[in-house]
Amino acid sequence: MNTIHYLTDPALRGLFWPGVLTGLAIAIMCSGLSVLVVLKRLAFVGQGISHAAFGGAGVVATLGWMSAAGAVSFGAFGIVFGFCLFAALAIGWLSLRGKTEADTAIGIVLVASMALGAVLLTRASHAHGASRGVSWESFLFGSMDGIGWTDAALGWGSAVVVLLTLWWVRRPLVFWAFDPVVARAMGVREPVMSLILMTLLALATVTAMKLAGVVLATAMLVLPGASALLLSRRSGAVLWLALFIALAGVVGGLVLGFEADWPTGPSIVVVLAGVFALARVRVAIEARQKHPNPRAGALQ
Amino acid sequence: MHPVAVQFNHVSFAYPGVADAFALRDVTLDVAVGARLGVLGPNGGGKSTLLKLTLGLIRPTHGEVTVFGLSPQAAALQGLVGYVPQRSGAEQAFPLSVRQVVEMGPALRLPPWQKLSREQHAGVEAALAAVGASAIATNHVGSLSGGQFQRVQIARALASRPKLLLLDEPTVGIDVAGQQQFAELLSKLRDDFGITVMVVSHDIRTVASGCDRIACLSRTLHSHVAPAGLTPAVLAEVFRHDVAAIFGDLHVDAHPADSCSGHHHHPVQIGVPNK
Repeated sequence: MNTIHYLTDPALRGLFWPGVLTGLAIAIMCSGLSVLVVLKRLAFVGQGISHAAFGGAGVVATLGWMSAAGAVSFGAFGIVFGFCLFAALAIGWLSLRGKTEADTAIGIVLVASMALGAVLLTRASHAHGASRGVSWESFLFGSMDGIGWTDAALGWGSAVVVLLTLWWVRRPLVFWAFDPVVARAMGVREPVMSLILMTLLALATVTAMKLAGVVLATAMLVLPGASALLLSRRSGAVLWLALFIALAGVVGGLVLGFEADWPTGPSIVVVLAGVFALARVRVAIEARQKHPNPRAGALQ
Repeated sequence: MHPVAVQFNHVSFAYPGVADAFALRDVTLDVAVGARLGVLGPNGGGKSTLLKLTLGLIRPTHGEVTVFGLSPQAAALQGLVGYVPQRSGAEQAFPLSVRQVVEMGPALRLPPWQKLSREQHAGVEAALAAVGASAIATNHVGSLSGGQFQRVQIARALASRPKLLLLDEPTVGIDVAGQQQFAELLSKLRDDFGITVMVVSHDIRTVASGCDRIACLSRTLHSHVAPAGLTPAVLAEVFRHDVAAIFGDLHVDAHPADSCSGHHHHPVQIGVPNK
């Protein structure tokens, strides 16, 4: 069992435990947000924000603040987070102005960030040489390599900030998310709620990006909530299910990655997608049991 | 308490970019505390704009709006106003029960660490009972019909204990039996909850059966206040407005104020009980 070996061998513990702890923080943080992301149909927004991180990573690499393995400092984390937040605000600003549709705004921000990141990462590779160059693959799909205790501390710090903020604003946030028209009339400030949600999404994306990569970070913000909402229609149960599924996805994905020697990000997403597929099958079976032959009923 | 629930003082409003085309023009309106005012008018006549101004969602281009003597925004923040929109933007896929939706109203003003009090829980149950939704309190909000969800929205507004309830086209999509229940509910709101009610609608039945004061709005506004409630003459006059709306005439042209007959006509005070 590679997993037990990696996690118990004194020589390897320092390499793998930070990644495991970061993964657990990401699971806890993203599970709560994912329910809102699915219900508010923000999956594509999350995709736009996460791809903005690629541009931020390019800036960090240009500044020479990133090791070959991709380990980040607090300053680098701040830059990437700033890029994600800027992208979130740009998407909101472009679409709220009414002259650009939201999906067009996301598409523009997404490709602009990717292009900027590609240019800056290439320049950084040339400027700093191979030793300070960075792996595009680890940015796009995530990696356990280079996740240190600083990343783990940042991950848990972000998780605490996200969860505390969600708890603090839960009533106006849920009211606004559920019924924005009446919430506005009741004095809930829509721009404030939108800004809070976008900031939390940016923070969660930057943290999840390390393990799952730019491309797959969105999966952490979508699949736990989407699966949980298929399995229950009670709010408490949905939140607990989302948490359980996110934790199962991270733990299962890490084990899969260790045992099969797969990259961690895709492994986590494979597990989460598998859970979603099972949940979907369960819903289909239940529907079939309730209405064994819907065609016959329709013809009568 | 301030004796006038809603006051419009020579209010005009034009949406940005169409400065010359006023959605409302020089509207002056006093709605007394406890009144049930129905605002009738054609589509595009400014009914929803009137409500948005009362809610503080938009600000007048000219004039002033007050709600219980406060700015509409301040009244909203103090929880004085309840609102049930014409088309709910509610996302009914949310994993919420009917009771949880109703609890949203009173919970909105609480600090994050505070739970609903016993009195607030009792208020939620009373609101559910008032709209006849106690039996479906544990149902998922996504399983409700349009009429049921409309009642749940009214219950959510009531549970916040507002002093003023604004209803925008409340009977759209509701069958005749549901409209009758709605009229009875409007009576209950005033008698049991002591709430001032403003209903805007283009449906003559909604306004005639549930309100005791009627205002006609088609960009400009004037009132029809029957001394002893609605009389056949008022209903006939209002019905004529409805016909005018259907055929596309602007009300103000089809029915100039000086041609009003068969009932009292007060261009300033609307909904204020006659002395």
